[in-house]
Amino acid sequence: MRYHITIIATLLFALSGNSSWAGDSAKEKAPDVDTIIKKANKVSYYQGKNGSAHVSMTIKDKDGQTRVRKLVILRMDEAAPKGENGAEANDDYCGEQKIYAYFTRPADVNRTAFLVWKHLDKDDDRWIYLPALDLKKRISSTDKRTSFVGTNFYYEDVSGRNIDADTHELIETTKDCYVIKNTPKDPASVEFASYTVWIHKTTFLPIQTEYYDKDGKAFRKYLALNVETIQGYPTVTKATMSDLRTGGETTAEYSDVKYDVELPEDIFTERYLRNAPTKYLR
Amino acid sequence: MKIGTSLVQYSIKRPQMIIARSVAGAVLIVLLAALPSIWPEIFTFLPAATIDTDPENMLSKDEPIRHFHQQRKEQYSLHDMIVLGIVNKTDPNGVFNVKSLKAINELARYAKELTWDDPEHPGKQEGVIAIDIIAPSMVDNIQPGQLGEVKFDWLMPAVPTTEAEALAVREKAARLPFMQGTLISEDGKALCLYIPISSKHLSYKIADKLKQKIATLHSGDEYHITGLPVAEDTFGVEMFIQMAVSAPMAMALIFLLLLYFFRKLSLILAPMLVAILSVMYTMGALIVSGNTIHIMSSMIPIFIMPIAVLDAIHILSEFYDRYQEHKDQEKAILAVMDTLFVPMLYTSLTTTAGFASLALTPIPPVQVFGIFVAFGVMVAWLLTVTFIPAWIMGINPESLSSFGMQAGHEAEENTILTRLLAKLGHVTFHHSRLVMLGVMIVAAISAYGISRITINDNPVKWFEAKHPIRAADRELNQHFGGTYMAYLEIAPTGSLPDIKTTRQEIEKMFESAPKAAPVLDTLKQLLEETAGKAQTRAALFRKLGEAIDSRLDTASDAQYDAFDAASLMVSAASQKDELFKQPDMLRWTGELQDYLKSMGSSDGGVLVGKSNSLVDLVETINRELHGGEDKYLAIPDSSAGVAQCILQFESSHRPGDLWHFVDRGNAENGTPAYRRLSLWVQLKSGDNRDMAQVVRGVDQYVSTHPAPIAVKPAWFGLTYINVKWQEKMVGGMLQSFIGSFLVVLLMMIVLFRSALWGLLSMIPLTVTIGLIYGFIGLIGKDYDMPVAVLSSLSLGLAVDYAIHFLARSRELVKVHGTWRDTVGPIFGEPSRAIARNVLVVGIGFLPLLAAPLVPYQTVGLFIAAILLSAGVATLVILPALETLLAKLIFKTEKANLTCKCGTCLFFGIVAAALFGISIHQFLSTGLNLTAGLSFGIVLIFCVTCFLLSKRKQCNMEE
Repeated sequence: MRYHITIIATLLFALSGNSSWAGDSAKEKAPDVDTIIKKANKVSYYQGKNGSAHVSMTIKDKDGQTRVRKLVILRMDEAAPKGENGAEANDDYCGEQKIYAYFTRPADVNRTAFLVWKHLDKDDDRWIYLPALDLKKRISSTDKRTSFVGTNFYYEDVSGRNIDADTHELIETTKDCYVIKNTPKDPASVEFASYTVWIHKTTFLPIQTEYYDKDGKAFRKYLALNVETIQGYPTVTKATMSDLRTGGETTAEYSDVKYDVELPEDIFTERYLRNAPTKYLR
Repeated sequence: MKIGTSLVQYSIKRPQMIIARSVAGAVLIVLLAALPSIWPEIFTFLPAATIDTDPENMLSKDEPIRHFHQQRKEQYSLHDMIVLGIVNKTDPNGVFNVKSLKAINELARYAKELTWDDPEHPGKQEGVIAIDIIAPSMVDNIQPGQLGEVKFDWLMPAVPTTEAEALAVREKAARLPFMQGTLISEDGKALCLYIPISSKHLSYKIADKLKQKIATLHSGDEYHITGLPVAEDTFGVEMFIQMAVSAPMAMALIFLLLLYFFRKLSLILAPMLVAILSVMYTMGALIVSGNTIHIMSSMIPIFIMPIAVLDAIHILSEFYDRYQEHKDQEKAILAVMDTLFVPMLYTSLTTTAGFASLALTPIPPVQVFGIFVAFGVMVAWLLTVTFIPAWIMGINPESLSSFGMQAGHEAEENTILTRLLAKLGHVTFHHSRLVMLGVMIVAAISAYGISRITINDNPVKWFEAKHPIRAADRELNQHFGGTYMAYLEIAPTGSLPDIKTTRQEIEKMFESAPKAAPVLDTLKQLLEETAGKAQTRAALFRKLGEAIDSRLDTASDAQYDAFDAASLMVSAASQKDELFKQPDMLRWTGELQDYLKSMGSSDGGVLVGKSNSLVDLVETINRELHGGEDKYLAIPDSSAGVAQCILQFESSHRPGDLWHFVDRGNAENGTPAYRRLSLWVQLKSGDNRDMAQVVRGVDQYVSTHPAPIAVKPAWFGLTYINVKWQEKMVGGMLQSFIGSFLVVLLMMIVLFRSALWGLLSMIPLTVTIGLIYGFIGLIGKDYDMPVAVLSSLSLGLAVDYAIHFLARSRELVKVHGTWRDTVGPIFGEPSRAIARNVLVVGIGFLPLLAAPLVPYQTVGLFIAAILLSAGVATLVILPALETLLAKLIFKTEKANLTCKCGTCLFFGIVAAALFGISIHQFLSTGLNLTAGLSFGIVLIFCVTCFLLSKRKQCNMEE
């Protein structure tokens, strides 16, 4: 445990454009656990009313062989257009959103596209377009804990896990982080017994997450490797997910991250799966 | 002879010391062997007994196939598997009912937990590889859902609560080519779990835990555990139980038979002790020298015991017959030893030679076996000539007063054995031609039998037919595609173009692409820069792609599209090297799989029940993406289509499964992914013969149906490894057998100072081996590992009787003058000794037939058969031949071997042949060089023999 905290402390020096994280915050009383979780959820998945990013995912197996997948992700919060003054008006918004993911590399999956309508109270709607088969398919998404296109990330890691699916418990407050233990309400639906997340005190970004089996042994680990402040939003621009059992890991690097961009809502419809909105994918 | 006499005399003078030292020595070496095994922490300087039941170790560690097997297993993340089948014979739906599926689910969950810290690698786990278990609750199902959606979920996400739900599991699995015949049986009644384990050496332990769990389930199902790793590991465990039960049983029976023949408890304790001490010395030496106890070396005691008893029985038999003549222990034993010392030395030497020759086979456990049996035989000999005389001296003379043949010949007439032997002598003398005609007929039948021998082995068949592993094997292979796993790798024969060619290829591609035109100069410049830095073609593609992409950030809109198009082109060009994403290659592989499935075994059965590959995976995804229509159970028309199907598969719970079927590539040596494909082949039988047939069939198929891009097949997996060591064993055994045959022949020529006598002494053993192997061929028993090793035993034992018989007949002819007058006496005591030997040792080993392990049964049965036929061959063929050849063989002999030009020459030829065989095996030189060298040796012998036989002293002696 001490070892991880050292890593995080070192890591936090990399935080740029944020000067308030250190210092007297230690004296403050920790907010209640639900507030921490909500804020973390917000900064992880709901920054700005929308956003776009180029993602390069490098999948590395235990022998060090790597494969790279590149994609562009567009995101729009359902409530955002209804907000009066952009992001500010939806400061607490953590609800439905739409995600468009467009693959560019390797060449043989170029133009493959995903569309996800994320719901809180029911299963997400998910579509896929496979250009080589000229096939647009709706995909059942009852289980979100499957691999995201062969990486060590799950669909749920990309779209965000419903915070109501777990019970949360603040187990420790370190110099820089709130350490929260999360226990699933429906253990049969997931592969872990619990997971612990280290949430940075000032940015509320989850810096590290560890998933445990029923013997309390960590088998999966997320680590934020780089954080940049973009348009005022602290943003993880490099993160890795490791499978501690197989020794494989996937590193995701985000570039061209933009928030509050001009994104027409109809991009997030089935029509645009076949005809990609290239203008917004550069 | 002098050394012999003094050795015996030395022992007779100090009987207590000899006995004490022999026993103390044996106890000491056993302690040295046992202590480090019991307290390894105290006796760190000594090796502990290690048990090795791995047939893979039949091949030397640096054997290329083992290296390949290991390397490919790691490359494809494959593990040895425990196969756990569940069959329900009472429910009409088999195991697809709520109760059974609940139990299966519980069992799978239990299996998942069977991991623990690896004691040898701190921080690592060993046991079951949970992520690769194939069980209904742990594999994915893909199927069309409502409203044209595609649904991915666990095949059995939760235990069904209704019978309809239970049947739905079956229906789902039956639709998936991957599962049908693998996870669920073709008849839809049974289910099979495949439990991969980190090391096959854990299979017994894990199978045992599974059995304990099964005992608590009470689901009314039959559970069967099988698979090669379990069979091999279980064999190791049962082998020891066997050693502890069968060997003492054999000893007890030999003891009773000896008691019957010699009726003197104190006397027959001697051969028993010799046998036990020899085994103690040999096994102690084996362990102390750091050798492992392998399937082969576990049989050492069983081989040493009869041989050790053999010589002792000759002594006892002779002593029994002669004691009353001398009525003095010392005189009697000296007379006995005087007669027997030389034949016993030779019989021991020949036996030693027979086994030592196994050291020339290229199979390490067989080498160790041969060397230590040879060692044991010499120990037994030494004990026989020292311990037994010493023991006899220690017996109270009074108790011997009524011992032995009472008053010579009159008493002899009374025993059945004596009468039978006398009759046999009569027949062989008067009907020698008829006897030889009979031998010819037997030889002809044997030759026919040998021609029908099938070379085959199967570790599962090392268990008796009623053993649970065999039962599981039968049951599961009847229901499923097959429990014997072999992997077939298909890799291209050609290599990829070098950097220079690749650079030209890319340059041409850029020049001919209008989309790239706006930035052509920059692209060429980037190409030049990266080509200088890249080591491999794959690296060039990658670095160039990265370099172009890095320009995207600063590019204008027009340039952006051009750079993007160029980068995409580079990516596409690099992916053309991904061979097994190309539809034509996958279709070819699919056809190969169809061929595999169509192969029939020699008895008309199915050889390969099932094969799984990337083809099945892509076809299934393609079908489900197209609404589950069967016409789409096919490979898409483009490589991108294949890739996009694979992308779907990778979005499952188990994306890693992909890499069991296709190679990830290697950045270091520039091998792209998807260039090698691994087919998982499930064979219905683990018979090496069947595996070998599949290998031949595939070779032939690949050459007659060439792939679009030339490929070569290469096999790995335990089932295939077994074929490889069998090939080595058969060839190696044949060569070492010929080698030891020649060694024994040379020794016989030296012993009898005559080529003719030498050849004569080889006849009973030749007939015996012919008869035994002819019989094996005729009854259709497979030529397997124990059968192969038995040839050395036959060689060692069968020549023994011939040596005794011939040496004694030559001696007796000198006493009685003619062969005619010798027939009576030779069928007296000397023949009785042989007959007693046959009966005691042969019957003594029959308890092995009760062993549950087939190799032990085989050894027991064949030791008896070898002894019987060698005894009969000796007592029938040799006197008949001696009768026929009397004029030729009983003439006055030249004293010196070198004086007889013919014998000397023959000796030379045999020596040259022996040299040729040994050298060929050791150096694996070409046949021409070996033949040339051997021919040279023959020439040298010709000249030397001619010159030697013309010496003056030779003429003078004549």
